[in-house]
Amino acid sequence: MAVSEFANGTGSGAALTRKTWISRVGITLRKRVFASPDMAGLNIALLLVLLWIVWKMIDWAFVGAVWGADQAAECKNATGACWSVIAARHRLILFGLYPYEEHWRSTLACGAIIATVALSCLPAMWSGKRLAALWVSGFAAYFLLMEGSLLGLTQVTTDQWGGLSLTLFLFASVVLLGMPMGLGLALARRSDLPVVRGAASLLVDFIRSLPLLTTLFTAAVVVPILLPSWLQGDKIWRVIIAFALFFACYQAEVFRGGFQAIPKGQFEAGKALGLSRLQVLGRIVLPQVFRHSLPGTINMVVVTFKETAIVIIIGFFDILASANAAFGTGEWAPYYMEVYAFVGLIYWSFIFSLGQYGEYLKRRMAVAKH
Amino acid sequence: MFGKAMKAIFASGVMTVAGAAGTTALAESATVKTIKERGTLMCSGHNGSYFGFVEVNDKNEWKGLDIDLCRALTTAILGDPSKAQIVPLSWAQRFPSLQSGDVDIVIKATGWTMGRDTELGLQFSLPYFFGGTQLMAHGDLGISDATGLAGGTVCVEAGTTIERIVADYLKTISVEHTMVSYEKAAELRSAYLANRCDAFAGWGPNLAVLRATEIENPDAHTILNDQLSSEPIAAAMRQGDESFVDTVNWMLAALLLAEEHGVTQANVEEMAANPPNPTVARLLGNTPGIGERLSLRDTWAREMIGAVGNFAEIYDRNLGANSPYKLDRGLNNLWSHGGVLYSPILD
Repeated sequence: MAVSEFANGTGSGAALTRKTWISRVGITLRKRVFASPDMAGLNIALLLVLLWIVWKMIDWAFVGAVWGADQAAECKNATGACWSVIAARHRLILFGLYPYEEHWRSTLACGAIIATVALSCLPAMWSGKRLAALWVSGFAAYFLLMEGSLLGLTQVTTDQWGGLSLTLFLFASVVLLGMPMGLGLALARRSDLPVVRGAASLLVDFIRSLPLLTTLFTAAVVVPILLPSWLQGDKIWRVIIAFALFFACYQAEVFRGGFQAIPKGQFEAGKALGLSRLQVLGRIVLPQVFRHSLPGTINMVVVTFKETAIVIIIGFFDILASANAAFGTGEWAPYYMEVYAFVGLIYWSFIFSLGQYGEYLKRRMAVAKH
Repeated sequence: MFGKAMKAIFASGVMTVAGAAGTTALAESATVKTIKERGTLMCSGHNGSYFGFVEVNDKNEWKGLDIDLCRALTTAILGDPSKAQIVPLSWAQRFPSLQSGDVDIVIKATGWTMGRDTELGLQFSLPYFFGGTQLMAHGDLGISDATGLAGGTVCVEAGTTIERIVADYLKTISVEHTMVSYEKAAELRSAYLANRCDAFAGWGPNLAVLRATEIENPDAHTILNDQLSSEPIAAAMRQGDESFVDTVNWMLAALLLAEEHGVTQANVEEMAANPPNPTVARLLGNTPGIGERLSLRDTWAREMIGAVGNFAEIYDRNLGANSPYKLDRGLNNLWSHGGVLYSPILD
C-alpha cells in the first residue's frame, strides 16, 4: 500500500528501473519505519523480537530436532523437537484404532471423502443429479472400504474407526446432510401453512437453545435407553444425524438471512411472468440466496470442521482423541507439543483450503452479479 | 435436572435387567449368556489414553492394566483374548453406556463409591487396585517417609481433597511443615521442579507417571512410603446379575491365586500337567469344579493365565518394573507380601 501511494504521488507511469525501485523502497522505509528516532528504535526492537521468535521456532522445529521413529532415547537429550513421536505414532493419529494391517483401506476411504468434497466444490458438478450421484458414490465408497464385510474384506466395526479418517467422515456427512436439511427448514419457515411454519420455527429454536454437547450426548447415550434396539442403529449414525440436525438449524438461519435480502418485487415479477413457484424459487431466488448467505455458510462450515473434535466426549476416537492416545504412553508422554503441532498443521491445512475456496466462490459470484 | 432425569432412566433400565436375570445360585448369568451368544465381550476403553491403565500401542491396539483384565475376563468366558471388544468411552459416558448395554462391564480406573453403588444402580467387584494420596520428594533429601519432611515445604493443588488429606495426615503424625497451594497442576509441578517445595502430593499412580515421564532424571525423586488415603478401584457392573459379579470376582481371584502359587504365563501348562498342590489342581481344572459352578469350562483359569499371565505379571507389564512407570506394588501386593489384595478361598 505504501509503495503504491508513493507511485501515485510521483505520477510516473513509465517502467521503473532497478535503481528507482531501490530508492523507492528506501524512501518508503525512511517515511514509514525510520521517521523519528523513537519509531526507528521501536521498529528495530520489534523486528529483533520477531527474528528471535522465528529463530527459536526454527531452532526447535529443525536444528535441534530428532526425526527417527526408534530414537526415543535420543529425544531425552535433544534441544529441539522430538519428531520421532510423529514418525512412530502417525498411524495412530491418522487412523485411530483401525486395525494396523488394514490401514490402506482407511487411506483410500479418506481419499474418497476428500475427493467427494473437492468435486462438490467444482461448479461443473452443480446440478442436483450430479451432486446426488457424487455424494452417494463417495459415501458408499467410504463405508464399503471402512466396514469391509460387503467387499469380502475383514469386517471393521464402527467403534474401531478413528483418527483423521473419522474426523473427515463426520465433517463431510454433517455438512452434506445438514446443508439440504437447512435449506428445507429455511423454506419451511417461509411456508404459507402456519403449521409447517410453526413446526419449523419451533424445531430450529429448540435445537439452537441446546448446547451441541447435550444434543450429541443424548443421541449417543440416552437414545439407546429409550428406543427399542431395532430402531437404534449404530452410535455413529445417531451422532451424525444429531450433529447434522444441529448444523441444519443454524444453517437454516443463515439461509433465512439470504431470503430476507431479496426484494418482494422479484417474487411478484416472477409470478407476473407466469413462472411457477418452483421456477421462481429455483431460477430467481435461490441463486441469489446462496450468494447472500455465502460468507455465513463458509463460517458455519469452518466452525463445524473444528467442532467435530467435540465427539471425543462421547467416546469417538477422532483425530484429537487419537493424538491424545499418541502421546499417552510412558515413552512419548513429554512430547505432546510435537503431537499438537502436527495435528494443528492438519487442521490448519484443511481449514485454510476451505477459506481459500470461499474466497474463490466470492470472486466467482461477484462476476455473476454484474 | 438433566442428572435426575438420567437417573430415572437408568433406574428403569436396571429394573428390566434385574427382571431378566436369573436369581438361582447356579443359573448361568444373563450377561455371560449374552456375551456367549454375541461372541464378543464389550469392555470400556478410553477416549485417548490414561497412563498405565488404558493406552494404545504403536500397532493401534489397546494395552494397559484395565485392558489386560478385560482380556482376562474375555478369555475366561470365551476362551480367546482377541474376542474382547474395547469400546472407547469418556469418563462421563462410562456409567450411562453400561446401563444402556453398550458395554458389558466397566473396568476403567473406577473408584467404588456409595453413590455409584446405590443411586446409579451399579455393583462392584472385589477391588483390584488401591490408589491413594501420596507424596513425592526430592531424592537428595534422603528420606523415605513423611516424618523426614519436618520443617519442610509441601506443595499441593489448591481446593482439592488432597489438600485437606495432606494437612490432616501431617498434623496427625505431628510433622511441622509449611503448606503452599497452587491453582494449577502444571504450576505445582514446575514449583516442585524449581525446588520451591521439598515434596508434593497427588494420586499415587499419577505421581509415578509424572516421575517416569516428565521429569528428566526420575531417580532423583522418591515417592514416600506413606499412604495418606486410599481409593479402592474395582470393576463396575449393572445391578441385578449376581452370577456375573461372581464370574468377575473369581476371574480376579484366579489371577491372585495364580500369583500366590507361582503359576505364570510361562509355566501354566507345566503346572497343569503336574500340579504342586490341591489348590493349583482345582485352579487349573485338574480337579473338576471351578468351571461348572460358573457355567464355564473347567480350564478357563488355565487358558486365562496362559493368555495374560497372573496378577503380578499384568501389574509389572503395565505399571510396575517392566513398564516405563516403575510403580512399586505397595498396597497392591498380595496380603502375604504387605499389600491388601487377597483371594477368597478356592474350595
